[in-house]
This record gives sequence, C-alpha cells and structure tokens, in this order.
Amino acid sequence: MVVHTQTEPGRRRGIVRPVMLTLLFLAMTVPVYLLVVNSFKTQEDILNNPFSLPVGDLTLDYLWAAVNSPQYNVIGGYGFTLFLVVVVDVLCILLAGPAAYVIARSLKRRTQLVLLYFLAGTFIPAAALVIPVIYVLRSVGLANTVTGLVAHDVASTLPVSIFLFVGFIRTIPVSIDQAAMIDGAGRLRTFWTIVFPLMRPAVVTVLILNSIGIWNDFVSPQILLSPGSGRYTVTTAIYAGISQYSTDLTKVFPNLLLAVAPVVIFFVYMQRHIISGLTVGAVKG
Amino acid sequence: MVELAELTQRREPREREPGTPRRSPAPAGRRLARYREGAVTFGLLAPSVLLYTVMTVVPVGVAVYLSLTDWNGFSDAVFIGFENYLHLFDDPSSSRAWYVTAAIAVSGTVLMIGGGLVYALLLKERSRTNSFFRTLAYYPHVISALILGFLWAAILGTNGAVNSTLQRFGIGPIGFLFEEQLALISLIGVIVWAGFGFNVVLFIAALQTVPAELLEAAAIDGATRHQTNMRVVIPMISPVITVATVLNLIGLIKTYDLVVSLTGGGPAGATQTYSFLILARSFEGTKVGYANAQAVFLMVVCAALALLVTAVRNRQDRAATG
Repeated sequence: MVVHTQTEPGRRRGIVRPVMLTLLFLAMTVPVYLLVVNSFKTQEDILNNPFSLPVGDLTLDYLWAAVNSPQYNVIGGYGFTLFLVVVVDVLCILLAGPAAYVIARSLKRRTQLVLLYFLAGTFIPAAALVIPVIYVLRSVGLANTVTGLVAHDVASTLPVSIFLFVGFIRTIPVSIDQAAMIDGAGRLRTFWTIVFPLMRPAVVTVLILNSIGIWNDFVSPQILLSPGSGRYTVTTAIYAGISQYSTDLTKVFPNLLLAVAPVVIFFVYMQRHIISGLTVGAVKG
Repeated sequence: MVELAELTQRREPREREPGTPRRSPAPAGRRLARYREGAVTFGLLAPSVLLYTVMTVVPVGVAVYLSLTDWNGFSDAVFIGFENYLHLFDDPSSSRAWYVTAAIAVSGTVLMIGGGLVYALLLKERSRTNSFFRTLAYYPHVISALILGFLWAAILGTNGAVNSTLQRFGIGPIGFLFEEQLALISLIGVIVWAGFGFNVVLFIAALQTVPAELLEAAAIDGATRHQTNMRVVIPMISPVITVATVLNLIGLIKTYDLVVSLTGGGPAGATQTYSFLILARSFEGTKVGYANAQAVFLMVVCAALALLVTAVRNRQDRAATG
C-alpha cells in the first residue's frame, strides 16, 4: 500500500531531482573550474576562451610568477596567517577553557551574568567595532602591532568559544570533578587534567570555528595592521595585489587559486568535522 | 543535581552559631578557605573578562562617546549631543546604504531559506551522492568572502567569462557589476550562492529529527510527497526555520567583505552597505563622529535582532518542555 502511494509522486520527483541537482552542480563547480583553468592561460586566451581547457597551450608561468611575486605575496601570507591562527587558537583555549569551567560549574547568579556579558559580544558587527578598537589600541600603545591584532582577534573569539564550552562542560558529570578534588587536585588542575580531555568534541569545534574565522578575516588585519607594518595575511595580500592589477587576469586568477587552495584542501580533508562544527557554532552562537 | 547542590552547599559559608566567640579559629579558617576559593574563581575568570572588556566592551563605549561628538580625527573633538543621530535618516548616502543593506538582508534571507529548504528536502536521505552534493553546496562557506568576491568579479566583469561568452553570440556586454540595479542583484546573487549551502546543512540536521512514524502515517493517509512536505515536514521544523531566518538576517546586515571585492560599493554607491559606508567614512577621516553614530546605530539594530532570536528560542524551549 505504501509502495502504491509513493509511485506517482516518486515518478514526478524522478524529473525534478536530476534537474535540480544538475543546476546545483553547475552553479557550484563552474566558478571553481574557471578559477583553475584560467590560472594556466595567457591574458588573451582567458579573454577569448575562458571556458576552454588549457591542454595544448598550458602555461605555468603566471602561477609561478604569483608564487614568486615580491609584492603582496600570497604564499608569504600563508606563514603570517598560519602564525595568527595558531597563536589566537592557543590563547583562546587557554583563556576560554578555565573561564567556561568556572561559569559552567558555579550556580551563583553573578557568575551566570558573566556568561551573558560575553554572549552580548557575539552580535556586535566587526565593521562597527574595528574603528573604536584602533583608539583603544593606540591608548595602550599597541596600534599597528601584531600583538594588538592578536589581542583583538582573541577577544573576538572568546564569546562563542566560552558559550560552546559552557554548554559542553554542563553535560560532563560533576562527580568526576569531585573525585579529582577529593584526590587533592586544585580547580585549575582538575580542569586541565580531567575535564579538558573530556571536552575533545567541543575543543575541535571551537578550533575549527576560530581557525576558519581568523584565516578568512579581512577587516581586522586590514585596519589594525597598516600596510606600513609589512605584515600581510592571505586576505590583505590578495586585496592589496588585486585592487592594483584587477584588469590583468593573469595576476587575478593564479593569486586567487593560491589563496583558495589550502582552505579547500583542508576542507576536503576535514569536511565532516567542519560542517558539523560550523553548524553547531552558528546554532548556538 | 543532588551532587551539584551538595557541592555548592559545601562552598557556602556556614552560619555562625550564637554565642561562639567572633574570632574562633575554625570560622577564620573557613573564611580563609572561602577567600581562597573566591580568589581561584577570580583568577580563572579574570584574564578572559579583562581582555574581552578592553577589546570589545570599551570600544563600544568609545564608539558611543565619539558618536556624540563632531570630530574630524585630528583637531579637538567637540561634544554635540545627539546631533549626529538626527542626520542618520536625512543624509542621502546613509539612507541609501540602509536601503541597500535591508534589500540584501531581506531578499538574501528569503532566497537562502527557500533554496536551503528545497535542497535540504532533495538531499535529506543518507547516501553517497547526497553527501557529495551537500559538500558541494557548502564549500563556499569556508572560503573568505573577500576572495569569493574577487573570483566573481573576474567572472562577471565587462571582459569576464560570462560577457566574453555572451559576446560571441552577439549579446552584451551586460554590466553585471556596472549598472546600478544589476550590480545590487549580482551582489545578492553571489551572497546567496555563497550562503545557501549552510542553510541546506542546517535544515538537513533538522529534518533528521522528524519522526519516521509521522511520515508513514501521512503516506498511509494517501498524502503526496508535496503534501507531506508542506503539511507535515515543514511545520515540524518551523522552529529551526525561524532561528535560521533571524541568523541569516543578522549575518547579512553585517555584509562587508563581499562588497569590497565584488563591486567596491559602486557603481556610484549603488551597492554600499552600512558596514561598508562606516569604514569608508572613517577612512576619509573627516567625519569620525558621524561614522561612529552610524556604527552605534548598526550595533543597536543587531542587538535588537539578537534579542529577537533569544525571545524566539526561549518560547521554543518553553513549548518543548511543556
């Protein structure tokens, strides 16, 4: 009976589904296809045959030029961006972990207010905040310094990280902490040696969320680190390079390919964790 | 829960029994323990709270203060009260930026929720093909919006791939990024392209919570797939749709990176969002006070939307717990 009721709509779906999936496939792959093939062509070839495969006249010159470009080098940007990601991730975990632990385990009202205080920060738009941040950094002597940028980035990762950690720690039984304390461990030690290892899924989520956020961030490095500092992230290098050579497509495509490649490789490798992590982050944040 | 209560009770100070001397050694010891406990709590919380306060809360205060001044960034700031705020709606570039931002937020949200739902329903079953398409829909979410904007600018530009192909058929060039109306439509298109996959994944997660018995019951009652979706599945996941709507709205109100790389705010300011305008103004450097009034206004709008999410979620929680 169930089979009978499903045949009719099933057949209709038989047409709709392939059409919809083909549309999705084309919409999502064509831009990447264009990005890849045009990174290996001459300007003339890109303009005349943007969709052609560069089989016969494939050239690695432009990609090589982008790799070795002395100005606004994207490959050079990898190093500094990775440095930012690692430093911010480590500091965020070191600060957010213990704070979340205290908030999650305390029943006092004022501790819960601290959580709300952090939560308010998740909705402040970066573009609205970054200008006043300059004045604050200037007054503490950290304007245009990497330290200033790191301080701002860590602060911006704290709200969501603490929120996700608190939610997760509350699912860990308190009797585990009590056992550790009876054995003589202090609170900090109980947290790092007993609770923190149990928080693995939440830590992975937070690390992915923060890493992608910091890697892709453009507003804060662009504005908090002036071009005079000589420090470029992948995004600010791309911005500086491409706004200068936007008509020279042999510079645009290879540079974009270099900027996208590590993220896409990371994504393909970690996609299951990334998708579930970012979804959790968005729903909770 | 019992354990939690015991744990906190142990921490609470015990009432001093009447008649005991004030400085008896035992309470003093306990008081010391309590101070130490408080100091540890403080020590664990303080670094985060301090950094967050200095780098997030203080700047909000700075923005509020600057918004009440007339300041060009160099000379002395002059306190002018709410005058900047009075100009938020009679300044043409500011009100146009609001129109652009609202158009992006509303139409982007509608299209992303719609597209997200359609593809979530198509891809909800677990299979290798479906997980491939989910990943395909989702991947732009991990790439910087700035880079996606530059890529689409190279594709949609005057001598981009689309126009050079159209010209071969004698059409165009079409000013996808250079005609005012069309540029805004292109911007919204790229935003939806980049963001709808996230909604697909979110809705698939929600669809997996719909009980199979309900779908069987609908099938036994002779409902078509369309009827089942419209009358059973979508109402079941409507709480998630509500939350996704508000999250998309908040996300889109902040649109900045894509504008920078796709259109640069042009042509003639037709795609300037509010975030873009604030930063552009601040860097011209002449109207810092006014730009901060705009920033504060943007924060208030985001905060209002955030309160809306909280209210919606609380109502859902209450509905869920009875």
